[in-house]
Amino acid sequence: MEIWILFGVFTLLMFIGTPIAFCLGAASFATIVYLGLPPLVVFQRLNSGMSVFSLMAIPFFIYAGDLMVRGGIAQRIVAFAGSLVGHMRGGLGQVNIIAATMFGGISGSAVAEAAAVGGLMIPQMKERGYGADYAVNVTSMAALIALLLPPSQNMIIYSISGGGKISIADLFTAGILPGLLLAASLMVTAYVVARHRGYPTEPFPGFARAGRLFLISIPGLLLIGIIFGGVRSGVFTASESSCIAVIYALLVTVLGYRTMRWNDFVHATKGAVRTTAMVLLIIGMAASFSWLMAYLRVPAALIAGMNAISTDPLIVLLLLNVLMLLLGTFMDMGPMIIICTPIFLPLVTHYGVDPVHFGVITILNLGIGLNTPPVGTVQFVACAVGKITVWEAMRSIWPFYGAGIVVLGLVTYIPAISLWLPSVFK
Amino acid sequence: MQRVSAALSRVCDGALYLAGIGLVAMTALVAYQVFSRFVLNASPSWTETSAIMVMSWFIFLGAAVGVRENFHMGFDVLLYVLPKGSKGALRTISDLVAFAFGIGMVWYGMKLVALTWHSTIPALGLPGGFDYLPLTVGGVLISLFSLERMLLRWAGVDVDKDINLEAVPEMPAVQEA
Amino acid sequence: ETVLRSADTHPDGYPTVEAVKYMGDLIKERTSGRYSVEVYHSAQLGEEKDTIEQTQTGVIDLNRVSMGPFNGIVPETQVPSLPYIFRSVEQMRHVMDGPIGDQILKAFEAHGLVGLAFYDSGARSFYNTKKDITSIADLKGMKFRVIQSDVFVDMVNALGANATPMAYGEVYSALETGVIDGAENNWPSFESAKHYEVAKHYTIDQHQIVPEVLVMSKASWDKLSPEDQTIVKQAAKDSVVKMRELWDAREKKSRDIVEKAGVKVSEIDKQPLIDAMKPVYDKYLSTPELKDLAARIQATE
Ligand code: NA
Ligand code: NA
Repeated sequence: MEIWILFGVFTLLMFIGTPIAFCLGAASFATIVYLGLPPLVVFQRLNSGMSVFSLMAIPFFIYAGDLMVRGGIAQRIVAFAGSLVGHMRGGLGQVNIIAATMFGGISGSAVAEAAAVGGLMIPQMKERGYGADYAVNVTSMAALIALLLPPSQNMIIYSISGGGKISIADLFTAGILPGLLLAASLMVTAYVVARHRGYPTEPFPGFARAGRLFLISIPGLLLIGIIFGGVRSGVFTASESSCIAVIYALLVTVLGYRTMRWNDFVHATKGAVRTTAMVLLIIGMAASFSWLMAYLRVPAALIAGMNAISTDPLIVLLLLNVLMLLLGTFMDMGPMIIICTPIFLPLVTHYGVDPVHFGVITILNLGIGLNTPPVGTVQFVACAVGKITVWEAMRSIWPFYGAGIVVLGLVTYIPAISLWLPSVFK
Repeated sequence: MQRVSAALSRVCDGALYLAGIGLVAMTALVAYQVFSRFVLNASPSWTETSAIMVMSWFIFLGAAVGVRENFHMGFDVLLYVLPKGSKGALRTISDLVAFAFGIGMVWYGMKLVALTWHSTIPALGLPGGFDYLPLTVGGVLISLFSLERMLLRWAGVDVDKDINLEAVPEMPAVQEA
Repeated sequence: ETVLRSADTHPDGYPTVEAVKYMGDLIKERTSGRYSVEVYHSAQLGEEKDTIEQTQTGVIDLNRVSMGPFNGIVPETQVPSLPYIFRSVEQMRHVMDGPIGDQILKAFEAHGLVGLAFYDSGARSFYNTKKDITSIADLKGMKFRVIQSDVFVDMVNALGANATPMAYGEVYSALETGVIDGAENNWPSFESAKHYEVAKHYTIDQHQIVPEVLVMSKASWDKLSPEDQTIVKQAAKDSVVKMRELWDAREKKSRDIVEKAGVKVSEIDKQPLIDAMKPVYDKYLSTPELKDLAARIQATE
């Protein structure tokens, strides 16, 4: 009965449009009252669930992303990407993906990435005769590359949710090849769709100009090395690296490019506060919700159910992938990682799956969920930038989902894609 | 009502500015932590705890701002298919939920403050109750702002603009590099 | 039948978790099934600071907690938490089983809690990625991760090393990448957190031999009849014996695993380290009562 109240209230409120954060909070509250426990615990969990040092990576990466957009770092990277692949068929789609890959190496957030690259590319693409749906779908799927390439706030959250024993440096390293694989698979898909739809190419600007654009974007791209090198060599921890990204973005835009004016800074700060508060309030409320799931023994029931179906690791991973894809349609990534990792990780390690490998699977899987309604943060942002509805985007996103699922399958069943690179650094 | 709304608008702006200052302060605290460990070879024990406390403040302040500016993410597909009249009613239910939850944050937040007031936060030496002050203050603002929304909607003001466009930063023009 | 819900941050199978389960079996048997205990292990209900608050307000009934989080709530718990206050594990057990232990358990009552029993958490010692440490001079300038607690920071600094407060979850990476040179913990944690994979030098200095404590919510306690209260209290005491058996076995097993993995274990002359604690004791024994308690602990055989 208690479980029905918990999930029932949540679902009911969600369908009448109550913000997800309050759906989680109200469902927890109702269940606690039904159980006859002091409701105080709901608010304690809310408070402690967000008071975690490692969660600071979220505000920092969002803030750094906003600063990089406001200060012109993102624009320079897009221009450089344009000179590289603009001359391919459906060139601007390819530019979008390459820019997302480069920006993904310095940004830890897919939302920031969709806003940054999408904000620059989607209007250009529409102007050059690309369908708004195509532009939006390329943007939203390419934004997922940022989740896999280091730095990635979600990998930090995963490590923490897994009990903190999973090396974040290894997770960061493990995401690189899957991230590049996703980029490649999206480029192929974008090319095929562009050919089919007859989209144009851009002229190659010449090596001199491409070189000049590269030079100009170096200070931004340097952040890739600073963060990855800094975390691997131990100058700072992974959580601290997100703060370094903010400081560096400020240094480059204020002292280097001299593009950051006071007004831009205030705007970026306010924007980061809004996004952060929205995301972290959900995470705090999810802490109440998952406290109740633990109290009501939901994970144990799930594991028992899974054991009844199969104990073959290949099947278990398949089932978990399907389950996460389903859950991912309804819930945002941060809370999902926090809720699912403590449940799923003991299960898969029981079957001999490496925690780092499962981390990459989780991130990619739940990342795809960022582009599925009803709760698809990245898709919402891309649609908002492209000024189309989610349903318009959904009509033609399927080839891109396909590309994502193929990569997910490869990453799931070929552990070496994730685990080979970290083993090189050992 | 208009005068109250104008006052709340100023409160909301103030909360957003404070939250922004909090974000900057948190950046400075963590940067100082890295700096002192790496350059000064000594790690202060208070930076992490105080950075977390600052984060708590700006999240709850920002979350309250989100209630007033209506940027909290929800799933509103059903609202588009339903007839116009019911939309307002459903939105009012959502605001009631936020209002009630805000009251809960205040009431139980105060209880938590009282419960932990006589303990000490390690590394800061402050009473433990400080941990729960942002929750309580955030609750006050959330219930105020959601009450305002309900009253304004009832008075015929459109407070339910599309939310997701607000969260997207407007982009500066593409610069010729 | 009433289920008493108990929180623990340790994983399933850990000695404290098993001891509380054992206590539950005793209670079930002695109350003819009217009461039983369910353990929520692995921090399912939150970190220790949170579960303490949940116990105080009666959300959960029982809680196994380390001494650290109580330092800011129950001043008496600061004394057994002091570095080098106990000379050996045997002495610690002797002290906590006697009148001093009872006095500290009583002190919880003023905070909505009933102290039931003390469990072991072994002895914490330093480990590092750099070198064997055999004298206090070897500690000089090394960066050790400590929990965010001033006592730990002051202890490490008093030994001439550098304390780096850091969240537990970041320690493995930090050791691996060299953000820190070492950390400190008991054998089982050193093993289960896999820190031995990266830190190959363990020094038995036993700077902290702190017992852990099993508390009950005062609200839940008051709901028990006096007879049942006696049963719960006795079952808790009985579980201590079981806990120590399990602990000793676990400690040996972890040490074997770690040594087999190539960790070099070294001994150190403890006296210079104990002597270095003078300023730390002066700072933290802030009242005559605490000073007296410390003196009585040190005087116990
Ligand atoms: Na990234
Ligand atoms: Na989704």
